[in-house]
Amino acid sequence: MQLFIGGACAGKRDAVRSRFPGACWHSAYDGKALEAWRESLPRQGVVVLEGWERWLAAWLVEEPADDSLRERLRTLLANWRDLERETAVSVLLILPEMGRGIVPIDRAERRLRDLAGWLAQDAAACCEAVWYVRHGLVHRLSADVPTA
Amino acid sequence: MIAFVSGGARSGKSQVAETLAREWHRRHGGRRYYLATAMASDAEMAARIARHRRERGDGWITLEAPVALDEALAGVEAGSTVLLDCLTLWASQWLYGSGLPEAEGGRMLSALLDKARLKTIGLVVVSNDLNEDLPPRDPAVWHYLAFLQRRHRQLAREADRVIEVIAGYPIEWKTSLKNSGKIAWENPWEGT
Repeated sequence: MQLFIGGACAGKRDAVRSRFPGACWHSAYDGKALEAWRESLPRQGVVVLEGWERWLAAWLVEEPADDSLRERLRTLLANWRDLERETAVSVLLILPEMGRGIVPIDRAERRLRDLAGWLAQDAAACCEAVWYVRHGLVHRLSADVPTA
Repeated sequence: MIAFVSGGARSGKSQVAETLAREWHRRHGGRRYYLATAMASDAEMAARIARHRRERGDGWITLEAPVALDEALAGVEAGSTVLLDCLTLWASQWLYGSGLPEAEGGRMLSALLDKARLKTIGLVVVSNDLNEDLPPRDPAVWHYLAFLQRRHRQLAREADRVIEVIAGYPIEWKTSLKNSGKIAWENPWEGT
């Protein structure tokens, strides 16, 4: 697995497109639900999952317990690691960095920000490569060996 | 030389930018210009401008360019030093005060960079990093952020140096790109 993370309009999508031109995309911006990710799987190659702020916001509405949500996300990450072991598919996540502002007054926004941060940590821990995208420039954060 | 310096509020980005500008000036001589995008629209803004001016000290010629960045360079001599502070304000003035089409903003910035290269000007551009907060819900704020980020990506692409400032410390991004870019293109997934 690989993770590309960066702020809004930082150039994450372009960074991924230029590196993985043949990838299949499963995107919330195309109206796709996260749960339907299997529909976008290629026989082999890279599948890109993007639009997490929308998926996470939808999950937050239906599930009041943050710990349960984090556990569900960890299960998904584990599923993708299994998938990579068993098939010729590689999973690439594009995550939004949204934790560098003032603590929001709105509870739903606080939960979204927390969940996005936890997901980024958990995803980074099981990715072979983590890339930080800033103003269109890309910097590799992780070593080659996964930490978990 | 074109340098793009950005960071959070009170990160020390103006001081880092001034240091870069002074280094260029020490090596190349000529005049030092301060390209001010801020307008003293109220007392608070006037006080901010006065504070920045005090911190810069003497020896800077102030040019005011709330919108027309490229025209401001018309009278600047070749080899001079120009410090533009800051692009964030320019972006808001372009979008909400100029009445000019949004797409022209990118061309204006390109024209500024082209003129700076043509005249061998040491140009240092300062801006604020605003895009790592929650995505804005207000469409107008989102629109502004997207416009500013397009300009930031344009600058980062074209600048010779891209520097992030955290707590007064400069982090060189363009140098990092050269290293990490090599790793990216050797990505085993792509076999290249």
